[in-house]
Amino acid sequence: MTDPRPATPEVSGPRRSIWRNLSLVWLVPLAALLVTLGIAWQTWAERGTRIEITFENAAGVTPEETTIRFRDVIVGMVEDVTFAEDLATVVIGARVDANVAESLPENAQFWVVRPEVSTSGITGLSTVLSGVYIEAAFRPEQGGSAQNFRGLDETPLVRPGMDGTRITIRADEGTQFSAGAPIFLQGIEVGQIETPRLLERGNGVIVDAFIQAPYDRRITTATRFWNISGFSVNFGPGGLDLSVNSIASLIRGGLAFDTVVSGGQPVQQGYAFDLYENEEAARDSLFSETIANAVELTTEFDESVRGLEVGSSVTFQGLRVGRVTDLGAFIEDTADGQEVRLRATLSIDPRALGLDEESPQADTIAFLSEAVQDGLRARLAAQSLFNQSLVVELVEIPDAEPATFGIFAQDAPLLPSVPSDLPDVTATAEGLFQRINDLPVEELLDQAIDTLAAVENLADSDGLRTAPDALVGLVNDARGLIGGEAAQALPEELRATVAELRGVVEDLRAADAVGQLVAALEAAEEAADDVAGVTTEFEGVTEGVPALIEELRALTQKANTLDLEGFVASAGSFLDGANRLVDQPSTRALPADVSALLDEARQALEELRAGGVVENANATLASARDAAAAVEEAAVTLPQLSARIEQLLGETETVITGYSANSSFNRETVAALREVRSAAEALTRLARQIERNPNSLLFGR
Amino acid sequence: MENAGSAPPVLTARRAGVLGCAQCGKVHLPGPERCARCGSVLESRDHTSLQRVWGWMFAGLVVYVPANVYPMLRTSMLGKTTDSTILGGVVDLIHHGSIGIAIIVFVASIVIPVAKFIAIAYLALSVTHRVRLSPGKRQHLYEVVEFIGRWSMIDVFVVAILSSLVRLDFAATINPGIAAVSFALSVAFTMLSALSFDSRLIWDASEEEDA
Repeated sequence: MTDPRPATPEVSGPRRSIWRNLSLVWLVPLAALLVTLGIAWQTWAERGTRIEITFENAAGVTPEETTIRFRDVIVGMVEDVTFAEDLATVVIGARVDANVAESLPENAQFWVVRPEVSTSGITGLSTVLSGVYIEAAFRPEQGGSAQNFRGLDETPLVRPGMDGTRITIRADEGTQFSAGAPIFLQGIEVGQIETPRLLERGNGVIVDAFIQAPYDRRITTATRFWNISGFSVNFGPGGLDLSVNSIASLIRGGLAFDTVVSGGQPVQQGYAFDLYENEEAARDSLFSETIANAVELTTEFDESVRGLEVGSSVTFQGLRVGRVTDLGAFIEDTADGQEVRLRATLSIDPRALGLDEESPQADTIAFLSEAVQDGLRARLAAQSLFNQSLVVELVEIPDAEPATFGIFAQDAPLLPSVPSDLPDVTATAEGLFQRINDLPVEELLDQAIDTLAAVENLADSDGLRTAPDALVGLVNDARGLIGGEAAQALPEELRATVAELRGVVEDLRAADAVGQLVAALEAAEEAADDVAGVTTEFEGVTEGVPALIEELRALTQKANTLDLEGFVASAGSFLDGANRLVDQPSTRALPADVSALLDEARQALEELRAGGVVENANATLASARDAAAAVEEAAVTLPQLSARIEQLLGETETVITGYSANSSFNRETVAALREVRSAAEALTRLARQIERNPNSLLFGR
Repeated sequence: MENAGSAPPVLTARRAGVLGCAQCGKVHLPGPERCARCGSVLESRDHTSLQRVWGWMFAGLVVYVPANVYPMLRTSMLGKTTDSTILGGVVDLIHHGSIGIAIIVFVASIVIPVAKFIAIAYLALSVTHRVRLSPGKRQHLYEVVEFIGRWSMIDVFVVAILSSLVRLDFAATINPGIAAVSFALSVAFTMLSALSFDSRLIWDASEEEDA
């Protein structure tokens, strides 16, 4: 070592003891350790008690995120979500605040709150953002140390910790209520029902219900529950009755209850009530059931009791006094052999008979016994007109056969019954229905259909469519005709014509044409003898006579065969037809103007009938007048003709004389003369007829 | 043990029988308790140095445990509260695909503090035990540890900034957790621990070996 070295080799500080050497800095890690341990202990202490909740599924539950809340305050956190050993359920492990865990009873309820939309409203909306949470509900109990719970699948309607009374309701079927349906007391919602469940035997439904305090004090053993779901329509003596309860109950269904009579006992939790169909049934059920000293009577019926059932009313003058408690058929030995009797047991409420509520049964029976001696009888009666339900009616029949209570059982005296008048009612109704049945409704309908079809066809036909126009035209024509001067002047002309005809006939008579004819014939007979010589000369003359005669006959025939009668008949039938048409209901139903038109037509036809066929008549009269004139002319010339005939006959006589009596000329002449005579007779007939009835020229009658 | 790469043996103040002020560097002859120039305590060697190093380091270790176990950040977003620890945050970041940030957080929050603990412990042990690393390199390591210490606070700064900025009530709120405080304490303690280390001890040991 060549380096220079200082004199003092080592510098060392004073040596201190180990304790004095110990630095204060060690306090720092100590403090840090203490603080850390403190924090750790606090965390451990605060992490709460572990509980396990079993759920069907863990929808939405996330470890370390899903909280457990009690009264909406976070009291715990889900730690893990695992399966049960058999994978059948999900076990949710959670830490719950220690102070809460201390009060957690075994029946604490846990359920997962998630958004829910139901008829009752929307719940759990906040969980849409924050995620689901587990709600706990329990009634805190100190010292509770339960750690395993079974979670509910649904939000419970009634949470433990709510004050009120739990009851059970029995019903025939569960259609009328859904879980959460409200229970009303005089219109105020005081409770809820839970999910209905089937009875084990399957013959009914029970549902738990919860009535909140303080309304639960209104529930006694005399309380009756009834269904107010939806709405009800009643048609009865009081008219139409439509009752709708709250809209909510329309959707969810609902129950109502009331305690009508006093005297019920307070109920315990879980007391079971029956559900009645409606308020009326519920109130009716109150009778008899709450009375301890109701009297049981037995009565027997010979007739069918269809419609009578257990629970049917027993009425006295319309008042309900009891109900049927039992019904059955019994075989009874009688003198005629075995006989089936229908026996009903009636429970009579003494209060309804005006007796004291506390009166012993014996008193009531005695009272009834007296009434029976006075004629009180049981009888079946229809409950109402519209259904087949029967009630037992107690009636007083003063002239009933004397009877007393029979003895059927120790405390069920036999009340004599009388046949009801039910069958008559039924028979009457049946008869009525039979009669209605027998009405030829089908035929009537068919006919109506046919008629309508015919009317339709008629209406559719072109003829009918043009008919109104034609009718109007006809009516107008007729009106014009009737209004015309010619028609107005017609009567006068008729009178004149008739007068002229009469004159003609007078002339005819005065001229004594017949006598002259006879004379002429006689002269002709005479002349026939002389005629022989001039036979050839007179050939043409004799040929001319038959032609004249033919003309006369034709004229007469024409006058005779004027078809007035046919025309008038057809007009009459047309009128009748029109009349019938107008009388038909269908025609009446035609529009009013058509009716009016038809009326006009009828009037026109009436006028035609009355004044009638004026034009034709006019023409006819004109021709008749011509004919008359011709006849007159003929009548004027008749004497000349007669004279000429006479002369002719005189001449022919001579000719005929020259001929043998049996010659053919003679026979011809005789025939000609006969024809002349018949022509003359026809003329005479015509003249008479015209004289007797001038109208016949017009009407052919 | 060869002192490869290290400075050649020099005459130290202690060997020369004097002592230098740790603060201002003035050389004193043995005798005075305090530096004549700056008034600081004069010690040839700080005998409590190792004690303090260990003390602060243990304290840092102790609080480093809750810093990792407890949540660093409490994030409330739309009613959902999420606690995230340091490691959990790193995992979350990886899950979200932010590998780079995850690495930064991981290095700053886990690697560096742990490395510091190891380095300090190593240095402290190297004073009394024989180690492979040459005194020069150990001195270098010490300087690195001392320098890098302050940067470990980056996590704490992030939490502090987030907590003050993200205050949107219901929509989003970030609160520092217990771990934030623990972590800050841990970093502070390790820094103090590094500061407490008397680097002259490194050389004393090597000299003794040489001697």
